[in-house]
Amino acid sequence: MICVMFPGQPLTQENNLPIDEDFRDIALLTRRMTGLDLESFSWGEKILSRQVALQVYGTAISLIQRQRLQSSGVKPAIIAEHSMGIYPALAACGSLADSDALTLTMRVGNSLASMAGGVEYSLGCVIGLPATTVLSVAENNGAYVANRNTSRHLLLAGERHSIESAMAESLSLGAFSVRTFPCDAPLHTPLIESIAPQLAGIVGDYCFAEPTVPLMEHIEQEFLTASDIPDFLVQELCLPVNWEETYLALRRAGITAWHEAGCGDSLKKYNRWIASEQQ
Amino acid sequence: MSEELIEQVKQLIIDALRIEGMAPADIESDAPLFGEGLGLDSIDALQLVVAMEKSYGVVVPDAATGTKVFQSVRSMAAYIAENRK
Repeated sequence: MICVMFPGQPLTQENNLPIDEDFRDIALLTRRMTGLDLESFSWGEKILSRQVALQVYGTAISLIQRQRLQSSGVKPAIIAEHSMGIYPALAACGSLADSDALTLTMRVGNSLASMAGGVEYSLGCVIGLPATTVLSVAENNGAYVANRNTSRHLLLAGERHSIESAMAESLSLGAFSVRTFPCDAPLHTPLIESIAPQLAGIVGDYCFAEPTVPLMEHIEQEFLTASDIPDFLVQELCLPVNWEETYLALRRAGITAWHEAGCGDSLKKYNRWIASEQQ
Repeated sequence: MSEELIEQVKQLIIDALRIEGMAPADIESDAPLFGEGLGLDSIDALQLVVAMEKSYGVVVPDAATGTKVFQSVRSMAAYIAENRK
């Protein structure tokens, strides 16, 4: 049984993208629907933030990869998503048109960007410490766990100074690697609840069809129905991503083959780690 | 440090990282493992730390040591040769 997984926002754009017909089709659609030019990674008339560009870029690349997988005969039994990978995942399961997935990504991203209001937010990636230790570090520094990707790979979100102090503490406790990334908003934390009504308004502008391929979500590992989707799209930005549980649930559901549709191969690497701990 | 150990380290990398379609001969002993070389990242490095400990009883205690150890296959093999139990 095959699972196609859709990763979240990339940290940077890809190098050496193959420019084929699938790329050109989605690049044209992306430019028309959002104003972002994929090849030059630049906005048209309406200039939005770099993070929004990366979010739209991530959705577009996922749509291209999904097209390539389809062309090569890959038929998923289940679709899975991580963070903002939900938008192309909705397109892949037939719940949303590609064009809507792109505009929804842009509008949600822009709404998140508007949250900053002078506050600098960051993400901090901690590799090598147990989850319980990272949870304590987050609490000590006023940060939040945004992604629990594996038992030893967690992402924190919060105000920049909180994340920087959390990364310093993690390193002092023996973390193998820590990295800080800029972001517009503290994704997957309760801080997003302050703009939940705004996000619900955006989501309310879209109609979601019943998924034609089962779509497993990353919070409770349930399969989403069309009626679940609007609430999930708001809720998922306020709650942490639990990829470890999602991978294990997918395996219990019978998945034996994995394809990652998007930038990079982080989900495959998380899976490799989780699988190695199960042996 | 033996050539045999270098070959073993190459196989360890392939096995631990589940790199498909690659043989030990495809990995250069002195090429950087990160960035332009094999293109590994911190997630891969942690997987290699665990594999080294499991296979050779060698511990990479911190990030600074890891940076030196994971420069190349040869530096990994040298660290194993010096520290294995």
